[in-house]
Amino acid sequence: MLQWSDRSPQHWREFVNHEVCVTVQDQQRFEGRVFTVDPVSASVVLVSVQENERPSVRVILGHAVTDVQILRRGTEETERQMKSVFLPDQTQILSAEELKSRRESLRLWLEKNLVPVTEDGEVLRVANALTISAPYGPGDCSCANEIILARIQSLVESNPGAEQTSLSQTHQ
Amino acid sequence: MKTPVSVLRLPRGPDPNSRGFDPNSPRFIALCPTTVSTSSSGSVDEEEQRLRSELRERFLRTLLLMTDKQVQFDMFEKVRVRATFGASDIDVLNFQVSDLETPLGVQKEALLRCHDMISCSFEL
Repeated sequence: MLQWSDRSPQHWREFVNHEVCVTVQDQQRFEGRVFTVDPVSASVVLVSVQENERPSVRVILGHAVTDVQILRRGTEETERQMKSVFLPDQTQILSAEELKSRRESLRLWLEKNLVPVTEDGEVLRVANALTISAPYGPGDCSCANEIILARIQSLVESNPGAEQTSLSQTHQ
Repeated sequence: MKTPVSVLRLPRGPDPNSRGFDPNSPRFIALCPTTVSTSSSGSVDEEEQRLRSELRERFLRTLLLMTDKQVQFDMFEKVRVRATFGASDIDVLNFQVSDLETPLGVQKEALLRCHDMISCSFEL
């Protein structure tokens, strides 16, 4: 029988979103819904399912896991509920005009700050190194160079024109 | 129990010569292409890579959510301590915490070895 930490990512993925009982090395047991299994350490992240208690999260280190049993399978609804806890709110679908005006506002702000930016369809390209995709917030920049990324991100964040458009804020 | 105690022992800092990439870490040894991988011989499946990224991203979000929260750490030998979680290293070998409540007093900053831990929990 393979140890939990020697299993494949495919095996671990099978448990995500289901209610499980995890047994650990000192015979203790933990129950909860699996949010993820870290592929680096095989650590299991459980979210509590009790309705009347405050939701809690438990991370069980991979090296301590001896057994994982599925108690109840999850549904699309439970997956959605779990995700809403961890992942920032999915941005509401912005209309094409709103996206366009946000893109334009950001492009002008970058140009004002003497940043070489071009529009390439739906994305903004900065100095051929960084891409900003919809909805053009600080978290939507992607770049291979950390220094450029950090500087452009702080510029995007300080864009005075962006505060006027409505957008659901990410919260952590 | 809030007055911090003086530091008893300084932790070993990160390797100053590299960017944190340690060729002796268990993860490198496990994934290094010259060692035999357990899942498939030869190149790593694209599907497996996709699964790994998905699972890892979720785990990183868990760590993000845990940051600056009061976390209860259950260690071996029925040791339980509470602290404010700061950060983890890339291989999940050490956790940096603040205000670690121990029987000796409150350690202002500490490094917890993940290998000594069974689980850690926090409330949302």
